[in-house]
Amino acid sequence: MALNIIVCAKQVVDPETPASAFRIDPDTKQVVPAQGIPPVVNGFDENAVEAALQIKEASSDATITVLSVGSGFVMDVMKKPLSMGADQLILVDDPAVGNLDAFGTATALAEAIRKIGEYDLILCGRQASDWDNAMVPLGIAEILGLPCITIAQKIEVSDDGVTVHKALSDGYEVVKAELPAVVTITNELGEPRYPTLRGIMTASRKTPTVWDASEVGLSHDQLSHKLDLTELYIPVSDTECEFIEGEDDADSGRLLALKLREARLI
Amino acid sequence: MLDYGQVLDLLTDDERQVQSTARDFLDAEAMPGITDAWEKGEFPRDLIPKLGEMGYLGANLPSEYGTAGVNNMSYGLLMYELERIDSGLRSFASVQGALVMYPIYSYGSEEQKQNYLPKMASGEMIGCFGLTEHEGGSDPGAMKATARKDGESYVLNGSKMWITNGNIADVALVWAKDDGGVVCGFLVPTDTPGFVANEIKHKLSMRASVTSELVMDDCRIPASQMLPDVRGLRGPLSCLTQARYGIAWGALGALEAVYEDALAFSKTRSTFGKPIASRQLVQTKFVDMVSDHTRGMLLAWRLAILKDQGKLNYSLVSLAKRDNVRAALLAARSAREILGGSGIVLDHPSIRHMLNLETVDTYEGTHDIHTLILGRDITGENALE
Repeated sequence: MALNIIVCAKQVVDPETPASAFRIDPDTKQVVPAQGIPPVVNGFDENAVEAALQIKEASSDATITVLSVGSGFVMDVMKKPLSMGADQLILVDDPAVGNLDAFGTATALAEAIRKIGEYDLILCGRQASDWDNAMVPLGIAEILGLPCITIAQKIEVSDDGVTVHKALSDGYEVVKAELPAVVTITNELGEPRYPTLRGIMTASRKTPTVWDASEVGLSHDQLSHKLDLTELYIPVSDTECEFIEGEDDADSGRLLALKLREARLI
Repeated sequence: MLDYGQVLDLLTDDERQVQSTARDFLDAEAMPGITDAWEKGEFPRDLIPKLGEMGYLGANLPSEYGTAGVNNMSYGLLMYELERIDSGLRSFASVQGALVMYPIYSYGSEEQKQNYLPKMASGEMIGCFGLTEHEGGSDPGAMKATARKDGESYVLNGSKMWITNGNIADVALVWAKDDGGVVCGFLVPTDTPGFVANEIKHKLSMRASVTSELVMDDCRIPASQMLPDVRGLRGPLSCLTQARYGIAWGALGALEAVYEDALAFSKTRSTFGKPIASRQLVQTKFVDMVSDHTRGMLLAWRLAILKDQGKLNYSLVSLAKRDNVRAALLAARSAREILGGSGIVLDHPSIRHMLNLETVDTYEGTHDIHTLILGRDITGENALE
């Protein structure tokens, strides 16, 4: 069956950036990215792209569209999903959608998905590494009136719908839904593939579709913040080193265990 | 990527993606095992099919034979990233791509291209390049290896020395003189009777690379195994220009590796109550490293543009190979010095790169030979002979 998969992907500050390398603008309450450290595609979103590619490989006829909303896109970063094997990239690139809260992001993505029109499966990373809210996929599902299954470590699509192994802390549960549906993907699905040179060359011949907010039909009211950010700061962490010395190694271990229990770490 | 001169800004989106992907891939797949492989004196062969799958073998050759067909900027960036891991890894890719696949593509018959290039691009087949002989590599015209025509065969005799990939190769591109004394290239399957590869042991450099002696004793191959479209030293020398281009990029990767490690060390290592990074003598070393790297990157970038335009002169490649490799070698020595006692163990990459770079400074034209190539080009006077 022909399957249209949309993968929502977000450009984020590289989470490997050391805290000392970037700063926070206290006036705008935004992170100022570090010089010379390019952004990346959110890691869980790359897992979602990988999931889409696996579904495509198992399917006779599937198309993968990667969708992102934001501003200041770095094209060699955002084209990575295309280099991995996705078919097309759509960017809603507008300052109006550059600094949205989760509700605004979900709204913008949902409207863009409506504009795309045909979709069977919407895949998202389980959360984005900048805010870690994990709210946007649920918002998309709510706005579009779709079922949503979160934290998929395995996903299969059949004529009956989508079957997901949903990761739990002590295993997984199998959840099924009819299509269309929203599914969020976790890293347990497996490492996203590296773009091969051939993939990069193929992607270089594809031109992303770029829409502004008005083309997607987004109004200022739809995008207004529902969350108030009161403060944004880099936490100061103090490190204390305490040597635990017992009568022998076993005693030291026992004392360490007691200490950890006191700290409610075990 | 160390990019003090903001050279990345001069690249295309695709070129930047090639670099960042190669770094991610190699950091994950190659970096974790490289020190162990070097210490054991083993080439990490498990990487070969992965390099092939990524398209990193013969990457700048046109895509019609299973190669990736990237431009020379991307190819240079790949060499940079490979040598940032280890010179042995870059050497493997240089030999496979620049010294064997390139001449097959440029001088081979259609049948040879079909037979070898797709399998070499995937890593299914490995090649080596036999030019240097026991009595020196700087004067290849004095080679003693011969290829005697006998009916529809050539019979090869002689030996080659310091051959990267020799013992793991499926095919050796051997340069030998025909009955008329003209240097020709022969594709010798390494399972041909009379062909033997002897691995050179006890190396204290390029330990994560296979280095061999090739011996041919009445080694009979079909005449169709000769590269038909090149005769004379122009053939092997043109291959060396390709490889030296990659080395000019690769050495900068090694430079970055030793610089980054020493810089991080200097910020945590204190003497007399202050990090050694605050000491003027240490800062001088870092400034020299960054200056050399920045200059080298701008030169490599220019080289790539000229190469893609078909305007690259071999003497400029000599200049870049000579300068960038020597800069990397000096940087590795400085980095090792900054590390103090820690610099002599393999926990830090400096001494591994330093020892590797002694080879890189020597092979593919020694530092001195490149000096004389440039001297000849500048003055018009040949000091080589």
